[in-house]
Amino acid sequence: MPPSCEKSLMRIMPPMPPLRSHTRLPLYHDFLLTAVVASSRRCISTGARQSDAPTETYEATRLKSLNPRPRKPLTKEQRDFLSSALRVNQTGELAATLIYTAQTPPLVNAHPHLRPLMAHMYDQEAGHLKTFNSLITKHRVRPTALYPLWSLMATGLGWSTAIMGREAAMACTEAVETEIGEHYNNQIRSLLEMFEQWEAEGYEVGTEFRDLISTLRRIRDEELEHLDHAIEHDAKEARPYWLLTSLIRAGCRGAIWTSERV
Amino acid sequence: MAPSRALTRLTLLRRAQPAALRRYHSYDHPAPAGIFNTGEQAILSAAYKHVPEHGFTQHALSLGARDAGYLDISTNLVPDGPFSLIRYHLVTQREALAPRRELIFSGDANANAATTVPARIERLTWERLLGNRDVNHRWQEALAIMAQPSHVPASLQELALLVDEIHFQAGDTSVDPTWYTKRGGLSIIYASSELFMTNDRSPAFGDTRAFLQRRLAEGGSLSGAVGGVTQWLSFTASAGLNVLRSKGVRI
Repeated sequence: MPPSCEKSLMRIMPPMPPLRSHTRLPLYHDFLLTAVVASSRRCISTGARQSDAPTETYEATRLKSLNPRPRKPLTKEQRDFLSSALRVNQTGELAATLIYTAQTPPLVNAHPHLRPLMAHMYDQEAGHLKTFNSLITKHRVRPTALYPLWSLMATGLGWSTAIMGREAAMACTEAVETEIGEHYNNQIRSLLEMFEQWEAEGYEVGTEFRDLISTLRRIRDEELEHLDHAIEHDAKEARPYWLLTSLIRAGCRGAIWTSERV
Repeated sequence: MAPSRALTRLTLLRRAQPAALRRYHSYDHPAPAGIFNTGEQAILSAAYKHVPEHGFTQHALSLGARDAGYLDISTNLVPDGPFSLIRYHLVTQREALAPRRELIFSGDANANAATTVPARIERLTWERLLGNRDVNHRWQEALAIMAQPSHVPASLQELALLVDEIHFQAGDTSVDPTWYTKRGGLSIIYASSELFMTNDRSPAFGDTRAFLQRRLAEGGSLSGAVGGVTQWLSFTASAGLNVLRSKGVRI
């Protein structure tokens, strides 16, 4: 069924009954639920800017009436964690788009067959950046104060590794994506711990957070896919491989640590 | 040592403030409790009614405590005395903006409905300034109390929260360094307009609004100029780079 038909069908038919159960759903259910809620919300949207707040949607009220369990207010620590997580993710994706932007011209000039790969990776990173930009505006999180510094460093890193050659550029991608994948995994783990605690205390986990965790999972998987591409394209052949990757990984860790704070 | 003790006190003060930084705002989990507890809320809301007559003073607080059915001595419940009353005014006026958002933007006669983000920022800032209408003749005293060193951090914090609220309600979506410059600029403009308003005797504070609009226009042209120069520089740099690349330089 083409997507347009699907959308118009969605407008006629009432949304699917909620798939939610109290136990944690398998991964694909999370995705399904997100897709259902997200697309039908778009159809119902009244156009007011704040109406995309999930509490006001039809599904959310239905879910609430079926699911009377209360939701717990976020503690100070949880809000701190969430704001620094969203801030550091936005910074990371900004840096990633800039690295690929700077790498592409010298690299594609020397190896034209890499053009589709670079374009594909850049497009995915640009999509991630857009996601986190909208998330930090929506949740009123302060963006990083060191924005110009990160832009400069990311551009410099991308350009210099691309000048050093194909293998060095791929080793850079490998190092960055390894750190980023680990970083996203840590965030997902902390979120799941938060959910477990809520469930154990008899509270419900809001749709907002289920959406957030499925977004994080999707983005992590795409980042790890970039890691695989880098290794396929001889990242390990870079000389000196160990020096390059350990320098870049240390830099990434430092940048993550800093932008969680400022 | 005295300076270090003063410093510790200042850090403690800063730590004691709830909601000290802008944090993650959730839509489907309930908001955390406000900064005033029930007792404080009762006394302060009753005392606030006495402000136009008695100012932001201990006297107004005692009258409020009596009205709320507490003993006069229970003003001790309110930790910072008159400053708490000022803070109550700031917090309630800030929180009053969000519910009236649609009403404010629809304009007076639908002729001047605010559609662009700068226009919305102007409307919201003006609306917030009008929130000072009833206490305007007492506001200079309040500013003096807010400027006392121990109250400066909390006052600046409230200013920052207000400016952030205005930008959020106006639908500003900047996620780069302009996030900081916009908020900083509006803080200065708001604070100076507020000060201007305390001496304004024109009908319906027309002079204050003109003052506010002039300052915002100046801010707009300044940021426009900076943006233009930045754009020109980055265009020239990338054009230069591309010329070099087209000449076969491997960069």
